[in-house]
Amino acid sequence: MLEQSQLHAIESRCTQEAAPRCRTACPLDMDVRAFLDHLAAGNMRDARKLLERHLPLPGIMTAVCDHPCENACLRRDLGGGIAVSALERFCMSAVSTQTKPLIRPPKGQKLAVLGAGLAGLTAAFDISHKGFAVTVYHEGEKEDALRAAFPALDDSTMSEDLRALEKFHVSFVSTVLDESLLARCSEEFGAIFVDASVCSFAPAKDAVDGSTLVWKEKICCGGWTSQTPTGARYASASSQAGDGRKAGITIQRLMTGVSLVAAREGENRENRLHTPLDGVSPLPRVVPAGDAYTEEEARREADRCLRCSCMQCVKECPFLQKYKEFPRIYARKIYNNASVVRGTRTANVIMNGCALCGQCEVICPERFSMADLCLQARQDAVERDVMPASAHEFALEDMAQASGPESAFLLEDQNAVAQGTHGTSMFFPGCQLAASRGNQVLAIYRFLREALPGGVSLYSTCCGIPAHWAGREKLFDEHASILRKDWEACGKPEILAACSSCMAALKKALPEATVIPLWSKIDALIAEPFVCSAPKTMSVQDPCGARHDHEWQRAVRSLAAKAGIQIHEATRAGEESACCGYGGLVWNAQPDLADAMAQKRAGEFSFPILTSCIMCHDRFATETESWHLFDVLPQTANADLHQEKSAPGLSARRAGRAALKEAALEEFLGQKPSNRYDNEPILLRIPDSVQRAMECRYILRQDAVEAVAGIEKSGAKFLNRENNHILGSWRPRNVTFWVEYVVDDDGGFTLINAWCHRMVVAGAIQPATKVIMEEKVHA
Amino acid sequence: MGLEPNFTPDGGDWICAKCHVPLEQIKVQALYMHSAFDVILPRCPSCGLTLIPQSLAEGKMAEVEALLEDK
Repeated sequence: MLEQSQLHAIESRCTQEAAPRCRTACPLDMDVRAFLDHLAAGNMRDARKLLERHLPLPGIMTAVCDHPCENACLRRDLGGGIAVSALERFCMSAVSTQTKPLIRPPKGQKLAVLGAGLAGLTAAFDISHKGFAVTVYHEGEKEDALRAAFPALDDSTMSEDLRALEKFHVSFVSTVLDESLLARCSEEFGAIFVDASVCSFAPAKDAVDGSTLVWKEKICCGGWTSQTPTGARYASASSQAGDGRKAGITIQRLMTGVSLVAAREGENRENRLHTPLDGVSPLPRVVPAGDAYTEEEARREADRCLRCSCMQCVKECPFLQKYKEFPRIYARKIYNNASVVRGTRTANVIMNGCALCGQCEVICPERFSMADLCLQARQDAVERDVMPASAHEFALEDMAQASGPESAFLLEDQNAVAQGTHGTSMFFPGCQLAASRGNQVLAIYRFLREALPGGVSLYSTCCGIPAHWAGREKLFDEHASILRKDWEACGKPEILAACSSCMAALKKALPEATVIPLWSKIDALIAEPFVCSAPKTMSVQDPCGARHDHEWQRAVRSLAAKAGIQIHEATRAGEESACCGYGGLVWNAQPDLADAMAQKRAGEFSFPILTSCIMCHDRFATETESWHLFDVLPQTANADLHQEKSAPGLSARRAGRAALKEAALEEFLGQKPSNRYDNEPILLRIPDSVQRAMECRYILRQDAVEAVAGIEKSGAKFLNRENNHILGSWRPRNVTFWVEYVVDDDGGFTLINAWCHRMVVAGAIQPATKVIMEEKVHA
Repeated sequence: MGLEPNFTPDGGDWICAKCHVPLEQIKVQALYMHSAFDVILPRCPSCGLTLIPQSLAEGKMAEVEALLEDK
């Protein structure tokens, strides 16, 4: 299970929650983006509330701030930084005070501030608002230091803020600021802040600790003037107030005995948020027609804010969009989910919704990988036996069928065997190509046998990727050992893989094997241009499993060029390609989400799609015109009917695999086909509309046939006297199938409807299945 | 009177084809993932064969299954 430290490391790679540049530039940590958002929306009161919450002495601060946020603004080169300072002044004048902070009775400890510059007053403001009584020593009048530093500041603003300060147990004492005062205060007060802008005895900036502003023992110092690049000194309001705030935190910690340095990383103002600026057009600053902004002008100016935000991965991925969050939050939810001992695991759906395609990792500037996170969570859930059974059950059954005796076969090159050797290559079509395009698999195999003098075997089975995607590493390892045994028995040939997921699984299962894309081999074997009936301009879908496989991508484009197809590259091609929804078994766990992925990706192409992965093809085919490379290559184009608008259903896929096995063994070994599929125990007619509904419910033809046959045999069924429909149920495994059908005149049956559920109800299943007691009721 | 949810067939006049008797709404137990619920379903009073309507299987039952799987 993920350790908390690992979680923090993962989380920190997603910068979506990091502060935007305006905020990191502000020493007072002002949430400028939220302020502008309120203004733009016309929520003037909320905007003012925000100023009052973030800024010390808000009247003074907004009047004198030197607004470093405006220089840091990403709009700077796109029409000019947002006029934050002018907007703050507008807000302060347009709306009256909105918050009324609680005045607490003062705590026992007394604190002193030497110097009523902006740093000293900020420190006094922050400390007093935490309930400490503060004495501020100043020379002359208490306003003098501010007047000297900021001559433009008007008296009424100043007196209003200082009066407000006095309500918070801040008292002002006029005296000479010298070292003897400091010595006296050291004895009388718990801690002291020295305002360097007005105290001549204050140390130089580098004599105090930068992170806490501690000068010596319980004395902090800050508020130095700043220097322009040409050497002129000036009072930077934001920097001085920032010092006052930092010292204020230190002094509160001194008073409460908390570590002065712990957990202050947030004060290090780093720009971590990535904000893509592609497609952002310049928009000039709104210049007020009069002296200051009107509300309408202020709203327009605030609306120029880019609302800096990363979300680059989320914009691309329907899965990341589904729960309206971003990876950092998902990581936390998945972690919290895994920590649940007993209770609701709300994030199960999150970890099983990821296609594990890796697009986010490529797009993310910090390389955040949802795939790693979700896969690890699945493995963890499987290990702790809390993975929902339904999530991947059908896919794993499909894997078992594809690698079981009905479908799997290994055909050695008989010419090589006759000479006492093995073929130097092994063609591995993958279970879905075998399911969908059996004739083309055989056609390309014939071609390979002729073209490769070293001999080539044909190994049709599942690569094991469904087990890996489902988080079932033990099952994957067991499957891998079967693959290894067969591969070794064939003399460890190089493997030609026609599916990018197979390539990934085979490289994992057989790390020492040479696994190359089938397309590279074919590209090398077909030297000349050839004629094909495909459209003359197409867009290539790079399968997500091959996003880092440049050789795969090159070979596909090379073959397309030889076919006379001009390639129009889609947005997000190559490494950045998006998944069709097959990856990660989303199609099984969350079919709606998988469909959304297919729709989104299919919509990103402006031309008919050329795919090199059969699942990309089959999932796009229902959305738009899609061609598989086999539909283009001269060796295979005519072997199967190119069905650009449809793909085989789940039952047809299983039958397709079994049919390929029989055809291959008949053609190359002369074995007679068993015609098993022509020998169903009953004659069951399934109308197309019922078949389509069954596909959505993962009910196979075979399930329906077995159910009707079983029900008829046992006689345990219902009869609808209105229309003579028969209804019965059948539970061959962890699912109960219900079939509603009629008996035809010829003794066959026609299926009217079929549905299923997983819950067990006594009396609602066929006793013959003997599974009723599999569920133990928990007390 | 019990408070268990009561589900009738989605339509039609269903009888038990084996016993040739009309179905009755009878309390039965539904089990899933270490949890049990009482529901009232159409059942043959003679042999106990119980009918689960499609609307229940794909509605409430699917919801509860999903909830329990996330437990």
